[in-house]
Amino acid sequence: MSNLTTKHLLGIKDLQKEDIELIFRTADNFKEVINRPIKKVPSLRDVTIANLFFENSTRTRLSFELAERRLSADVINFAASSSSVSKGETLIDTVNNILAMKVDIIVMRHPNPGAAVFLAKHVDASIVNAGDGAHEHPTQALLDAYSIREKFGKVDGLKVAIVGDILHSRVALSNIFCLQKLGAEVMVCGPETLLPKHVASLGVKVEKDLRKALEWCDVANMLRIQLERQDIRYFPSIREYVMRYGLNKSLLDSLDKKITIMHPGPINRGVEITSDVADSDQAIILDQVENGVATRMAVLYLLAGRVE
Amino acid sequence: MNLLIRSVHIFDPGSPFHQTIKDLLVADGRISAITDHSEKIPEGSTVISGEGLCVSPGWFDLHVHFSEPGFEFREDLQSGMAAAAQGGFTGVLCMPTTQPPIHSKSEVEFILKRTAGQLVEVHPAGCITVNREGKELAELYDMWLSGAKAFTDDQHPLRNAGVLVRALTYCKDFGGRLMVYAEDKDLSAKGQMNEGPSSTLLGLKGMPALAESVMIARDLQVLAYSGGALHFSTVSTAEGVALIRAAKKQGLNVTADVAAYHLLLDDSVLSEFDTNYKVKPPIRSNIDRNELIAGLQDGTLDAITTDHRPLDIEAKQKEYDLADFGMVGLETGFGVLNTALKDKISLERIIDAIAIQPRRILGLTTPTIREGSTANLTVFSPNESWTVTRSALKSRSANSPFIGQTLTGRPVAVINGNRYAIL
Repeated sequence: MSNLTTKHLLGIKDLQKEDIELIFRTADNFKEVINRPIKKVPSLRDVTIANLFFENSTRTRLSFELAERRLSADVINFAASSSSVSKGETLIDTVNNILAMKVDIIVMRHPNPGAAVFLAKHVDASIVNAGDGAHEHPTQALLDAYSIREKFGKVDGLKVAIVGDILHSRVALSNIFCLQKLGAEVMVCGPETLLPKHVASLGVKVEKDLRKALEWCDVANMLRIQLERQDIRYFPSIREYVMRYGLNKSLLDSLDKKITIMHPGPINRGVEITSDVADSDQAIILDQVENGVATRMAVLYLLAGRVE
Repeated sequence: MNLLIRSVHIFDPGSPFHQTIKDLLVADGRISAITDHSEKIPEGSTVISGEGLCVSPGWFDLHVHFSEPGFEFREDLQSGMAAAAQGGFTGVLCMPTTQPPIHSKSEVEFILKRTAGQLVEVHPAGCITVNREGKELAELYDMWLSGAKAFTDDQHPLRNAGVLVRALTYCKDFGGRLMVYAEDKDLSAKGQMNEGPSSTLLGLKGMPALAESVMIARDLQVLAYSGGALHFSTVSTAEGVALIRAAKKQGLNVTADVAAYHLLLDDSVLSEFDTNYKVKPPIRSNIDRNELIAGLQDGTLDAITTDHRPLDIEAKQKEYDLADFGMVGLETGFGVLNTALKDKISLERIIDAIAIQPRRILGLTTPTIREGSTANLTVFSPNESWTVTRSALKSRSANSPFIGQTLTGRPVAVINGNRYAIL
């Protein structure tokens, strides 16, 4: 297989296992490229990519932009704050105006679930979902699984615990789909008010006790508390959250095995994990960031192959 | 006007001809003869005939939004009546969701004047409270005298239970019926669809069934306290059905309806974020759907409505969270409910729920199929399959997820006095 089965990357839900494996193999090549002295390849010369960010993002946007530039694509950036959205233009009109300037691929971050699916139905371009509300964030899940694969040599059969704010997290949903497709077992752990009521229907284990979750897993993915997305209070205080769900070094060291710690960033140091955990040799947080560029290069490269 | 409906199966429990196959002759707005089938066609008559043709008292929809005055770009009274006729309805109760709302005598009279003498009878429902704000009672008695047949704030549930007590108590004197939509807005918060495995998969904020049942439980307790008559619109949950069933056993004066689309669909239809499926109450789980059908069967739910809610394309063709709630339903209503129910509930009960019960709830006279009575009839073909097209919708709006889908059962003709339409 040398092509993806989809024209867009809207979510992990729509991908076949073979698609994910193809993306990983392609990312292996690009990871080698970005570690060369000359980090750039001409693969996407003449391809124009627009990064549309209707919601604040620093690292995802930077990671995509670097991936695009290292593939030699032409890049334009569009942020909602500086846009016509505030003037009442619809999403379809905004995007069609950009496409009229001959853009091939749209990378979009949007606050509403389903926004990427909606756009893919109404405009004629490849769409890469860079996060849509609490729905999916497929490239994050790909880079997370890729980092696990890099660390363990495989994903199949591993046990991964996702800890924290599952309710507001697109990372959690995409991670669950991705890891399950690759044969891993997934557990979610967090205060019950931050777990979707029907989360067990996704085929994951549910655990309220952090220690038990850590004892069970090979990998713990510590999600960020998304205070900006909680319009009401789901737990009494950050202090109490840290008491129950904060991962510190003494807890980590008290386990009878060495688990791997991940975090999608940005870290609230001292909240989800303490600094000594984030900086420990068990954490692969910076590897995730590096792999983010390689996997995004792979996704864009493969989608552009369909554009031609 | 002379209409001959040939070899038609009569569904009318109030008629001696119930469950018989006859020829029906309608002349000058009356049913002039009901006879055994004959090959003779009276001179000058228009013939309506077909395989498996049925006739019943004209259908009545308890819950439509005609958007005039205020939102004529979505629907107006003329296009709304055309949509109703196209769907087989000879009467509707239109919701006060206009601008200004129907909250005083003058709006009631406006609706009645603009719709008088037409094929479809339009009965206005007045607001319970001024501007549907849930605070001050509107002039309920004056609206009642002017022709308002029920009172509702539609999808603005009364948060303040005291207002509900006063409205129920006040209406008792003249027999006015309140219609309420049950939703605890603190529980449904910013919900976009039913809370369940589907909402979890889609990352959409869920509206739990609890938001409906908590409110139904509260309203029933209020009804037991104050007396009066209460109708629940568009009940959508298994728990809601159970509560109403128990209240009826207890002898409370309570009635309820269910929207046709809730009988056919479950929330897995939202997997592609199609905003035409975005409705309130939300499309629920399969368990709820089966309980709604059971509730309809045992009479807990009295009537079926279409909850016809026209919306312009700008309100629908947008990101799912930002789209408005509602679908048009008049033209597809029978096809949808019949497709959902045909193998589960008798056609007799279906007709009861769309022709007899809605009028009984409002205290309107039910037309009957007898020689000499005024013709108020719907002729329909319950086994005919048809594919919904935009042009089949007479509504000004096209926010229907059923366009392109095939439904079983369609109306063939509507007759009301001297006016009729062959569809």
